[in-house]
Amino acid sequence: MTSVTRNNPLTDFTNIPRPAVDPKRARYGAGSMNQRNKPSSFEEDLGRLTQEIEGLQGSAELDQKWARPTLERFDPSTTPIVFQQIEAEESMYNGASVVRLFGVTEKGHSVLCNMTGFYHYFYVPAPMGFTRDNLDRLEGYFDSNFPKAVEKLELALRQSIWGYSGDSKSPFIKIVVQDPKHINRIRGAFERGEINCDRGDLNHEKFFPFPIQTFDNIPYVLRALVDCHMSGMSWVTLPPGRYHVVPSYLKVSSCQLEISIPFEDVISHPSEGEWLKMAPLRILSFDIECAGRKGIFPEPETDPIIQIANVVTRHGDAKPFVRNVFTLDTCSQIVGTQIIENMNEKDLLTRWRDFVREVDPDVIIGYNFVNFDLPYLLDRAKALKLSDFPYFGRLTNIRQEMKDSTFSSKAYGTRESKIINIEGRLQFDLLQLIQRDFKLRSYTLNSVSTEFLNEQKEDVHHSIITDLQNGTPESRRRLAVYCLKDAYLPMRLMEKLMSLINYTEMARVTGVPFSFLLSRGQQIKVVSQLFRKAFELDIVIPNLKQEGSSDEQYEGATVIEPLRGYYDVPIATLDFSSLYPSIMMAHNLCYTTLLSRQQIEIHKLQKDVDYILTPNGDCFVKAHKRKGVLPVVLEELLGARKRAKADLKKETDPFKRAVLDGRQLALKVSANSVYGFTGATIGKLPCLAISSSVTAYGRQMIEQTKEQVEKTYTIANGYSHDSQVIYGDTDSVMIKFGPDDLRECMRLGQIAADLVSQIFVKPIKLEFEKVYYPYLLINKKRYAGMYWTKPEKPDKMDTKGIETVRRDNCRLVQNVIETVLKMILHDRDVDGAQEFVKKIISDLLQNKIDMSLLVITKALSKSDYAAKQAHVELAERMRKRDAGSAPTLGDRVAYVIIKGARNDKNYERSEDPLYVLDNNLPIDTKYYLDNQLANPLQRIFEPILGARKAQLLLTGEHTRTISVAAPAVGGLMKFAVKTEVCMGCRTPLTGVYAKGALCKNCMPRAPELYQKQIESVNQLETKFARLWTQCQRCQGSLHQDVICTSKDCAIFYMRKKSQKDMTDATYQLARFDNTAW
Amino acid sequence: MLEGKLEQASLFKKVVEAVRELVQDCNFDCTENGLALQAMDTSHVSLVSLLLTADGFSEYRCDRNLALGINLVSLTKILRCGNNEDILTLEAGDAADSLVLRFENTQQDRMSEYALKLMDIDQEHLGIPETEYAASITMPSTEFQRICRDMQSISESITIDCTKGGVKFTCEGDIGSGSVTLKPNSSADKPELCTKIDLSEPVSLTLSTKYLLNFCKATGLSQQVTLKLADENPILVEYPLSAGHLRFYLAPKLDE
Repeated sequence: MTSVTRNNPLTDFTNIPRPAVDPKRARYGAGSMNQRNKPSSFEEDLGRLTQEIEGLQGSAELDQKWARPTLERFDPSTTPIVFQQIEAEESMYNGASVVRLFGVTEKGHSVLCNMTGFYHYFYVPAPMGFTRDNLDRLEGYFDSNFPKAVEKLELALRQSIWGYSGDSKSPFIKIVVQDPKHINRIRGAFERGEINCDRGDLNHEKFFPFPIQTFDNIPYVLRALVDCHMSGMSWVTLPPGRYHVVPSYLKVSSCQLEISIPFEDVISHPSEGEWLKMAPLRILSFDIECAGRKGIFPEPETDPIIQIANVVTRHGDAKPFVRNVFTLDTCSQIVGTQIIENMNEKDLLTRWRDFVREVDPDVIIGYNFVNFDLPYLLDRAKALKLSDFPYFGRLTNIRQEMKDSTFSSKAYGTRESKIINIEGRLQFDLLQLIQRDFKLRSYTLNSVSTEFLNEQKEDVHHSIITDLQNGTPESRRRLAVYCLKDAYLPMRLMEKLMSLINYTEMARVTGVPFSFLLSRGQQIKVVSQLFRKAFELDIVIPNLKQEGSSDEQYEGATVIEPLRGYYDVPIATLDFSSLYPSIMMAHNLCYTTLLSRQQIEIHKLQKDVDYILTPNGDCFVKAHKRKGVLPVVLEELLGARKRAKADLKKETDPFKRAVLDGRQLALKVSANSVYGFTGATIGKLPCLAISSSVTAYGRQMIEQTKEQVEKTYTIANGYSHDSQVIYGDTDSVMIKFGPDDLRECMRLGQIAADLVSQIFVKPIKLEFEKVYYPYLLINKKRYAGMYWTKPEKPDKMDTKGIETVRRDNCRLVQNVIETVLKMILHDRDVDGAQEFVKKIISDLLQNKIDMSLLVITKALSKSDYAAKQAHVELAERMRKRDAGSAPTLGDRVAYVIIKGARNDKNYERSEDPLYVLDNNLPIDTKYYLDNQLANPLQRIFEPILGARKAQLLLTGEHTRTISVAAPAVGGLMKFAVKTEVCMGCRTPLTGVYAKGALCKNCMPRAPELYQKQIESVNQLETKFARLWTQCQRCQGSLHQDVICTSKDCAIFYMRKKSQKDMTDATYQLARFDNTAW
Repeated sequence: MLEGKLEQASLFKKVVEAVRELVQDCNFDCTENGLALQAMDTSHVSLVSLLLTADGFSEYRCDRNLALGINLVSLTKILRCGNNEDILTLEAGDAADSLVLRFENTQQDRMSEYALKLMDIDQEHLGIPETEYAASITMPSTEFQRICRDMQSISESITIDCTKGGVKFTCEGDIGSGSVTLKPNSSADKPELCTKIDLSEPVSLTLSTKYLLNFCKATGLSQQVTLKLADENPILVEYPLSAGHLRFYLAPKLDE
């Protein structure tokens, strides 16, 4: 038929920008129907993997080799053992406490190494008149009061990190304990003043009559690493002849090599140059499937595990060398994948455990496996009475057990999780990692994959899994492919995000064991660095009582009041590079340089010669008197970063580049966290004198910069315009120099940066980084602009604090704002942007916007909120409907706002998007317009158009066509009858016209209206067909029904909606058949 | 072309006021017989049906059927611009994009004219078919309003039991319970205070107080209100107008 051009519904979802383009659509091109019979892309990937690996080692399905390379004989007296240690833990060996290292050699052999002879210790200041001779008396006291606890006592000259007190060191008693378990008991006795050891003189005076402060409190393992100069994930060499190989009959682990060596003999390599390499770590990613019952989330007591999929990669290899699925019952073959069929569940679990032991992974990854898969496996084994199942750690006799833990940190919030000990294997849960490092709307594997890999996966509701399992080998194969993909995706995510590399570098830079990075907060990293430096300098660190509340606040960074508006001239931005670290270095701010009034007098120090007074009123001694520990740590970090960045520029090997990039990032993050550590009031060693001084300097510097710039660049000084600082925040200032020439502004910016830098102490440096042109300054911390670093073309569009990133907005807001900003800033097309906004608003009011764009998500973080909130109420209602699929604590709840009665509160109108789709509930378009779109749009358009014209965008002509859905629920619906209305003029049809499409008056328009309807049906049919095939491709089968119900998938909502729209339109078309012509 | 003249703007004002609680955007259907409006509230529990017949207007003309899409909030704003006693004329062309409202005061020395922009509202046209009701209660509208108001503070729902002897409204809430019983009575000199019950069989319905109270916004339109009930069917609350009616339907609360 001839087409009448009108609003094409297909463009409805293509003209809204989508952050993630579906890869398959990109690959095949939308709607290319001749491609229909391709296998799913994941299976193609599998096939390709196999072909590539087949070339190397023959038939891959059957010959996947699990075991590690065999260990060749060697002579311990001549051969050094070099390995990368991946984990350190506290243990016992021959009755004494040792630090046990797990590691892997470069050839891929697994190593367990006991570092013997290292005893834990702490310090107390020696009392007045305490000499070496008194040690015996004190030792005697310990022997009788704390039997077998103290190994030895030593007298050592140390200095406390807290405060400057000249260069003199004072005597400390180093108390070395036999077993790290005893240390806190003895330390506590000192801190409570319970050490009743008298001096042995006539007065029976005591050494420690009062509670005293103790020094150096860090975990045993970290202490050992610090004292051995060993950092997490670093390489160590055991020199020949110094170590002892444990004979196989005494081995406690499944490691190929078990060794013991005195800790002094271990050579630890700093992570530089050659030692930046990585051992070929074996990484296992796995996923389990369970057969649940309808409406109930699988419970390990009753619901069996039916499949376990595994993918194993050697670090550094591009492809996984093991891909298999353990299935219950038979299963058809999958390309490139070993299917291990089991006839009963006990066999399935046992054979999987044997597989893990044989493949011997160093790292176990997965998606939420720490809180779901592993606990389920353990609980299920318990239910099946498989008592020998939970032994898949490196230590053969240690059983895997589960513990609950709550992790709470200011930066990451509170999370409940399980802890399962798998000795010698690192656990790296991608879900935990992504929750830590990225702020996303949804953390399901599906949406995370869409975000980072541009890839969708089929999301099968857990109640359907049982049906697939009870079907045929074919249906179980479908499940296996699904399961395998779930195991494969975490692997891909880890590679894509370079998590292992970046975390390894973080461990190396900060010196903490790898496992601390996920299980502990920020502070431990700084603590580790501080202790390392202190150890070198004979400094000891007081064990402060953790007191003070978190709401103790000090004044933060300054913000120069923004001159709001839309700037159509280049705005130069000057940044202080690493502002806080450089302030600490420039002014020598540290614990060790902090001065009290008293000390100033004692040492007769002179202001500005020997010490400085910070704008905050604290005094710090200058570097020539004594260089602070923190500035030294920072210098090393930033110096190392500079080197890493320089190396990065030279390096060509992509793998080494990745390591270097991860390293420089880790160094930067660590340098910045030092400041935070001093300001953490409930931290290990808070010192507000330092942190408030840092921010005070920062504020002062911003003001000075503004002053200097505005004073220098004036018409009076021969420049073409008076310059103006229009905004400044923490470490940057935005300057309007005036000229509209980009090059000129860049030149001025460069000069200004150099000029202003001179007024500050080194290494504080103001850098000219970029120019915004044009620039839209909305408010404090809210702005957008085109970002230029070179005058030829802009680098990107940069936005800060604008609704594009906030998660409590629906995606529609994000998309609209992004597009609008792009049109205004990039295309300089304000009219186009207005048209675009009008079109979107009009679509919204007519229900043409995809519901996936209207979904709002919020985390359900606790069950009892004081005020009623939309997502909490909805979660409660969903639980009443179906307890199994309702969101639980910690989940992000997705909801849309629907129309309710007048005065209904928001929380009464939140509804599950799926429920809304199924029942055709009307969306509260007004809410989305007024509460979601209105403000951000106003903020953007007001500076450009003025308030009045901006308001018109929200209330103009385009808002007068609306469409209201008729829901399938509601008390009155079963009584109501529908009267058709005329398709031309909407008047109700009666009499002979009642069954038709048009009223008498509109009859003459019949051909036009009929054609319009046909057109619309055609378009909807095409759209639906495309969406359907899209989903079929995603599920990997074009012959089966689509069963996916992924809430995270935009396509899913579109498919559901277009199916309904199509049915409606077809019905409307049919009305023409009954029209009384 | 639609043209309708009302001698008193207050009628239209009150009608809109009463409907506005339940419906925000709706189509006014204009035919040669008069002006009608039929719409469900957004949660689809109640339905309002308004009819202003042509003879209620002092002048009325409608050449062809029209559906005027109106936002009631905006309409209220315009209606506030006229006095209750003003003569109100509604006017719209056949393909008009706005509705003209003209107010004329009684002295005929002040004329004001406002235009309301019309909307294109795509909404299903739903209605409740005529049913046989088991009971029909006619009572003073103020009495009905008072019962609803009083019981609102006690419970979310009101149960109406109708027997031969009378009609009983009961409510049960957290703080206590209450009931009001009305017996049929008739006084010749004050017909507006009569209570009349027509009953074929006893019925009992439980209804949402919130919605009933919304219906009571129409109390000013008529001195009497008629409640029609049938078991497990929506209640019909009808306010007769001098020419036409304002009807509300409300789905009963069913025991779960």
